[in-house]
Amino acid sequence: MNEENPLWASESFWKKVAIWVTAGSFIILVVLTFDSLSQTEVGGKRVQAYSVINKKIDYVYKEDLHKFMPVIGETELLFGQEFTEEEAEKLVTLGKKTTQAKNCMNCHTLLGNGAYFAPDLTKAWLDKGWLSKELREDLMIKFLLDPENNARTFGSNRKMPNLHITPEEAKGVVAFLKWMSSIDTNGFPYNFKTIYATEE
Amino acid sequence: MIQPVAMQDFFITFFSSALIILAGASYALLFAWSKVNANFRIKIAAYVSYIVLIVAVVLLTRAANFTGYWLSLSAVMVVGYFFAPIGIWHLCVKTHAENHHKTLEEKL
Amino acid sequence: MNAKELCGVANAKLDTFVTWTALDRSNLSDGRKLAVNYFIVAVILFFAQLLFGMIAATQFIFPSFLYGWLDFSVNRMVHINAMVVWMLYGFIGCTYWLLEDESQTEIVGLKFGKLAFWVLTIAVAVVVLVYLFIQIGAGNDTTLWLINEGREYIEAPRWADIGIVAVVLTFFYNVVATFSKGKWSGIAGVLTLDLVALAGLYLAGMFYMTNITHEQFWWWWVIHLWVEATWEVLVGVIMAWSLMKLLGVRRKIVTTWLYIEVALMFGSGILGLGHHYFWIGTPEYWLTIGGFFSALEPIPLVAMVVHAVYDSGSHAFKNGNHPALAWVIAHAFGNFFGAGVWGFMHTLPQINLYTHGTQWSASHGHLAFFGAYATINIAFFYLAIQHWRGDVWMSGNAQNAWRWKWALGLLNVGVVGMTIALLIAGYEQSFIERAVEGSTWSGYFSAQNHPSFQSAMVWRWFFGLMTFAGLILLIWDLLTIGKGETRKMAVVEAE
Repeated sequence: MNEENPLWASESFWKKVAIWVTAGSFIILVVLTFDSLSQTEVGGKRVQAYSVINKKIDYVYKEDLHKFMPVIGETELLFGQEFTEEEAEKLVTLGKKTTQAKNCMNCHTLLGNGAYFAPDLTKAWLDKGWLSKELREDLMIKFLLDPENNARTFGSNRKMPNLHITPEEAKGVVAFLKWMSSIDTNGFPYNFKTIYATEE
Repeated sequence: MIQPVAMQDFFITFFSSALIILAGASYALLFAWSKVNANFRIKIAAYVSYIVLIVAVVLLTRAANFTGYWLSLSAVMVVGYFFAPIGIWHLCVKTHAENHHKTLEEKL
Repeated sequence: MNAKELCGVANAKLDTFVTWTALDRSNLSDGRKLAVNYFIVAVILFFAQLLFGMIAATQFIFPSFLYGWLDFSVNRMVHINAMVVWMLYGFIGCTYWLLEDESQTEIVGLKFGKLAFWVLTIAVAVVVLVYLFIQIGAGNDTTLWLINEGREYIEAPRWADIGIVAVVLTFFYNVVATFSKGKWSGIAGVLTLDLVALAGLYLAGMFYMTNITHEQFWWWWVIHLWVEATWEVLVGVIMAWSLMKLLGVRRKIVTTWLYIEVALMFGSGILGLGHHYFWIGTPEYWLTIGGFFSALEPIPLVAMVVHAVYDSGSHAFKNGNHPALAWVIAHAFGNFFGAGVWGFMHTLPQINLYTHGTQWSASHGHLAFFGAYATINIAFFYLAIQHWRGDVWMSGNAQNAWRWKWALGLLNVGVVGMTIALLIAGYEQSFIERAVEGSTWSGYFSAQNHPSFQSAMVWRWFFGLMTFAGLILLIWDLLTIGKGETRKMAVVEAE
């Protein structure tokens, strides 16, 4: 190596840097992945147990945290039925698989990810578009089973197509949406007024 | 913890973040050019770009409500974008150095 | 007319077409014959990407267009899948193109390579046909295995996932075995490690999970780490080889800079993953990590700017392939604005809270994918076609040069126009839907119904049409450029 090509500009130096930087970043990512996955286990603080579908879920602004947070309240049964954790998991799983099988994500967003042709589903369960908490379940099921005739287009002419969802799958989707609305998403979406906030 | 951007600051946030990247690149470009072409006006233009970058960082810092450790992000941008082009220029010179050495030998 | 006659007619038409192109495959080595197969399918999928993009864009303006037949979800899925797959085909093609030259030996498992090509192509065709004609299934595992996994970008059903991994492993075997038999180099080393990451990361997206936070966590491993890490490095490898071959830059310099690029890209890109973990349920520390590393991600771009100026000072810019050089320049600008400027504008969590999941992402996505990956693939198509024609002249005063110039102009102006239209839509959406109305469904629709959003969608449609016209001209140009040219390629002198 000649004097004009110092160590810090040499091929072998940068080869080592590339390897160390890549390996180092990757190891940090793996460590953070383990931590994040354990903090977001179902039944933890951030991602609730599936049986949360038996409870009232709200989403309110917390002054001290500078963000909106899900609030789990008293019993508020879904379909008038109390689910055990296993039953709830089974129902939410059916709902989640249905959202994948019907390709929801290529029109809607879930947790903000997906396509932008239809509204975000993160807090769909809490949306004031369902008029009141008494009407909500029924409206949701009807909409999922026959979206063309129960269209909620808000003057846009955009209608959800009939996706041939069965009544059982529709219940699963509603359970999944209710469960998803209880996830702590660091305050996303911001400034969201829930169906409860409108009622009060 | 973050403090979200206020509604009236949306435009300034988008504008200043775009400006940071544009001014950073323009400073890098002009800095490198001033090394190839020793015209002092190019050098002045490079430093003007850098001043624009500092202004943009200040605007973003205020619009995006940076406080606490988020302020270090502003500092990293101000310092990093100043030295990165200098470092990379030296790296260009040194990694290509052997070549000039050789062509010199070949000429001889 | 029976099926046999129909096949006969189709075959005859194909023959006429092949004769018309007057491309001579004997100009290509066996490895490069395989490479051009990949390029051909890449261009066909590029066409499909734009076609279905146009249908989806039309549905934003006329929601009843093809409603119930080809719904937005289907068109949008084909639009983005065709994009990912054509770019992968392009990258695999580029790799086969440079493999024999770089290793200085023949491809070891050419037979497997050919087989893998046909398996992959048939699988892609089947997947697309199922997307178009079956579309959806019942909410169970059978659907996820056979029809659609319903996860943006990686919707391919599980059977196809396994096929993709098998094909990528064959490709990987070919690359490693060929370098092992021939000669290893720095470029070969980076390429090999990058392909390990490319195949390995795909596995992270092959599992079903009910916990949507975990599911999206791993989903981003595939999407982000592919696109913002392994693909970037793959482009770096392709560029490194091209610089040596086309501009005669010395290997030592190219390799050193490839390592520097890898350090910068992986150093900022791997933890840059954090900017996707702001709002999916993951802990708050990702806001900090994502914000900081997003601010670092433009550093590799700054490095490129400085280096480009340095090189323009030390090289006389002579070049034997003007269209390819023009597309490389389009790549530099597109990558800088698409990934750098458009990325940073909405990536800090303080503002991303409002822009996440709006047309902002679409605006950024269109310019960044085009600028970073479409351009570089197109540049390589021009290099390939020049060689295929027998190293003919493609510098100044080439015949019908207006075609490539207009294709370049239409495609670039079209994409930039779409990007700006979507930016206006995204700005309006983040403002009205998110900030004013707090992301409710009625807020969503008041933003969608707003006149500025509606007219942005019309502008997007027109610029989309311009892009589409540019692609058709590009395909015509690729098929005819250099046809009847007798002058040989301008020779580039080494540094």
